[in-house]
Amino acid sequence: MTRIVTLIVLSILATAALMQTMGCGETGSAQVRAAQEVYVPPGEHDRYYAFLSGGQSGSVFVVGIPSGRLIREIPVFEPRAAYGYAVHPNDPRRRELESTGGAWGDTHHPAPSETNGVYDGRYLWINDLANGRLARVRLDVFETDRILKIPNLQGAHGIAVVSPNTKYIGVNGEFEQPTDGLATNPAPYTSVVAFVDPESMQVKFEVRVNGNIDIADSSKDGRYFFATVYNLEQGKDMGGMIQFDRDALAAIDIAAAEKAVAEGKGVVRNGVPILDPENVPGVLTLIPVPKNPHGVNVTPDGRYAIASGKLSPTVTIVDVKTLKIVAEPEVGLGPLHTTFDDRGNAFTSLFLDSQVVKWNIDKAVAGTSDYIVDRINVHYNIGHLQAAGGETMKPHGDFLLALNKLSKDQYLPVGPDMPEAQELIDISGEKMRMLAAFPTPPEPHDAVFMAASLLKSKVKQVFDLGADSVKEGGESVVRTGPDAVTVNMTMIRSAYTPETIEVREGDHVTFRMTNVETIRDMTHGFALPDHGLNVSLPPGATKEITIETPKPGVYWFYCTNFCSALHLEMRGRLVVQPKDGPVKITDWRAGQNVAGLQVPGVPSTEKSNGR
Amino acid sequence: MAARRRLFLAAAAIVAIAAWLPYWGFLMSAPQYPDESLTLLVSHRGIAGDVQEVETLQQYIGVRFPEHLPELEWLPPTMMALAALLAIGAFAGAGLAGRLLRWAGVGVFVVLLLASAATVQRRLWDVGHVRDRHAPITAVKDFTPRLFGPTKVGNFTVWSFPHVGGIALVAAMTLAIAGARKKALV
Repeated sequence: MTRIVTLIVLSILATAALMQTMGCGETGSAQVRAAQEVYVPPGEHDRYYAFLSGGQSGSVFVVGIPSGRLIREIPVFEPRAAYGYAVHPNDPRRRELESTGGAWGDTHHPAPSETNGVYDGRYLWINDLANGRLARVRLDVFETDRILKIPNLQGAHGIAVVSPNTKYIGVNGEFEQPTDGLATNPAPYTSVVAFVDPESMQVKFEVRVNGNIDIADSSKDGRYFFATVYNLEQGKDMGGMIQFDRDALAAIDIAAAEKAVAEGKGVVRNGVPILDPENVPGVLTLIPVPKNPHGVNVTPDGRYAIASGKLSPTVTIVDVKTLKIVAEPEVGLGPLHTTFDDRGNAFTSLFLDSQVVKWNIDKAVAGTSDYIVDRINVHYNIGHLQAAGGETMKPHGDFLLALNKLSKDQYLPVGPDMPEAQELIDISGEKMRMLAAFPTPPEPHDAVFMAASLLKSKVKQVFDLGADSVKEGGESVVRTGPDAVTVNMTMIRSAYTPETIEVREGDHVTFRMTNVETIRDMTHGFALPDHGLNVSLPPGATKEITIETPKPGVYWFYCTNFCSALHLEMRGRLVVQPKDGPVKITDWRAGQNVAGLQVPGVPSTEKSNGR
Repeated sequence: MAARRRLFLAAAAIVAIAAWLPYWGFLMSAPQYPDESLTLLVSHRGIAGDVQEVETLQQYIGVRFPEHLPELEWLPPTMMALAALLAIGAFAGAGLAGRLLRWAGVGVFVVLLLASAATVQRRLWDVGHVRDRHAPITAVKDFTPRLFGPTKVGNFTVWSFPHVGGIALVAAMTLAIAGARKKALV
């Protein structure tokens, strides 16, 4: 009997051990496969650029996919000393930021320009929720080139390019404002959707919507601009905002709005005509969806707009032609956003379930019970998700990025606040597969993928020398007024010209600087201690900035961007002479600073030079 | 038309055209210049190509391009004279005088090309030896770039090669030699 029991116990243990080993083997091989799929060897390029909004970093992060390597941060609404971006109070971009809301921002939604319903690699727009702004980033140089303060709007949240050819960028105003802009108005507050011209970056018109306008998308034919709207109750606090059973998906008829504006039906405020849909029927259609919805996404074929329930476990599928609800299937707890592959499947982020759910659109519309295809756990509390090309008419169907709000135990602990977490998921098969995770600074909300093959050839290697550039041989220091000096400076490995600049205390010194390098990546910095000045000039770039010189002294400016074997020697002096009095600062070792000088105690290098 | 006449006319025409094409080329590659080798072309107009970048790099090792290259200014008239000589040779008779004239043309041609090659090699020696001794980087010893093929200079590999003009001149010389060897009318 004892022997039998022993045998049974041993065989159970052996089976368990075997299962354990086999299980580990399976996990191991799956991990090896995933690792191979995201491994990009040194020197090779990723297949996609992913543009992630930087959230409260006020910037855009550029990440290579599938490797997850951070390639670039594009500063937009916040100064970045590393890129010499908007650092000095007199920097034109810094002034622009200060005058339009502040030198900080909260970026949420990157929206690339489109031609024929797919990305064309020209521009990327990004919102600043906090200060009601929209910025345009040039994708040939990966730099911010325009910033727009949107009139009559607070809380620029959802934005979307109007497909298929970027007619406008629609910007949703999330926070309601007094209708006439004055807090004394007893009428209910309202919000607007602003339609911005992509080239001029001017607001062409705005459409008033009651409630909080949230996330945006456009129909693929450009007829409708969709926006989810919550708080139709117009409550002022959380409790007041969730009273109604249903809020709305707003559909703005763009052609009807343009017609009404042309007919002068808009009320012009701060230079922008605002349409009130109550006075202009046909411009705005409100489609009732479960209360406090969040994302809206139009399917790649343009047939359906899908509003995600957030508080309701459903998505609402709306026929884009009829604006009627065709289905409202359950997908899981906390559905926020939806993206698409190229095989008729939708992927919805489930904030509460911490999952991505894959479901078949046609089956959900037909009402068959097997529309859910797969679920995968993400870590944790996913917000946006984006599949490659998922917002275009031609999704790629290979990768999906989950942008998670919390990472909890996923990374080495770094204090009470943990890194923001992204997870890359393979969606090429029937079942989703987790590939990799990578953290970023806070806090990406949304992302878009752009194929490397589309963008690589469009990216400039050097800036073109413009009419405002300083030419080699054209350098000068010019006194332009009793207390104003202009320095026309060039820089090339490994020197500034001129390298000594003498001014008087109290002068306003305007540095006009050109990096005259002609090869890529040969960026030079210009940092001037005690004057708050740090500029970065990529090859071919010209920048101009005016500083004051309040205190006499010798100030060494130097190159902050490691450039060459003589990088440390790349510097020069701003000599600020006292305003009054006979004492002048004399040049340091004047006349002795010549080549071949025998420095006492240091052996000559003459002999070792190839002789 | 006699074969020798055709060959000589062709040689004369090629020489007349080649005089205006780049003679020699240099390709410089280094680890930090991936997929973007620096190129220099030598033609009768002087040195062209990535001159600014190469000059920027040269200052670190005290190398500089010759400021004045008189031989390049002489080359077009010399080549045109050679072309004329070859053309005259083409129409000279089949007799001894004509043959002597043709061989003289070939001789001048060969001497000219050898002298050019020697001049280029001399200039290359100067580039690697007549240097600023106070240049910042002391690690690069004096060097002589080869007339053909690769030479290692610091972190760079410099490839020298005849460009279209140089190749055309050698081809023309071959045609002229072949023409001079033809004795009888064909």
